[in-house]
Amino acid sequence: MSNSETTDPEGPQEVQYDPSSNRYDLFECSDCDNVVLVLGRDDPPVSCHNKPMERVTDLEMSVKPPDVRQVLLQTFGLPKAGLDICLCVIGEGPLSANEVAETLGYDRSTVTRYLNKLVELGLLRRSELNREAGGVVNVYHSVDLERMRRETLIGFYVWAGEAAALIEDANLTKQDYLEENPDQELPDVFWDSFPERDG
Amino acid sequence: MAVTRRAVLEQLTTASDSETRETTTIETIAAALEADERTIESHLHGLADCELARIRSDGSVRVTVTGEELLELELDELVIVDPGTIHPDK
Repeated sequence: MSNSETTDPEGPQEVQYDPSSNRYDLFECSDCDNVVLVLGRDDPPVSCHNKPMERVTDLEMSVKPPDVRQVLLQTFGLPKAGLDICLCVIGEGPLSANEVAETLGYDRSTVTRYLNKLVELGLLRRSELNREAGGVVNVYHSVDLERMRRETLIGFYVWAGEAAALIEDANLTKQDYLEENPDQELPDVFWDSFPERDG
Repeated sequence: MAVTRRAVLEQLTTASDSETRETTTIETIAAALEADERTIESHLHGLADCELARIRSDGSVRVTVTGEELLELELDELVIVDPGTIHPDK
């Protein structure tokens, strides 16, 4: 994130949204509370209430910059081992699963597990080839880069949409509770509405 | 430019046959690719680990049916072969 970065000697770097940066943009509707995130576009890509949305320019909030390992883990359930294996598919080959395991320092079973996970996520494809001694041999190969870009971005946007909906639910829960129970403590009821999920 | 493992597999497929069990030699492949024999041998062992090539005790080598099928997929990118996955019922 190259937007305005501030360094805090006692904590991680924080970043602010910079409307002049072209990495991404935030647009909002002047008539309602609709806010959209846009990647790689200069002009408002959507309209709301029959007029182009306006770029957000007055945001002072700083956030912790995302770590790509955490993003992949949270979004796809893909730990670093999975990403390592995915990156291994961009290079010379063919490689055996044993070679990949030795090169990366993982167990062979870990490599097989994440190869299949990457297939589930649409980041790799699997083909079955006949084996001379009988049975089949699994072959894993990458999808093309355009498809990988689409799969990862859409996957992340789905996750981000779920996260945004969760934040909206939290705001509404808080609002509803305050309206219904003006004289009671909020925290317990609030967190009861969002039980911690396993894993 | 260093010879790639894929180039070795392609040359092996040209010079041998899985159905007739026709074999070739490391020297022949090295000569065809104008590459070092040790490099070719290393790649062939890698291909054998992937079950894409067979190396006989007399040093002769041939492509396997798996190796031929892999090339027929016409994949431009690298592949990871997991020969440990066996489904004998198929």
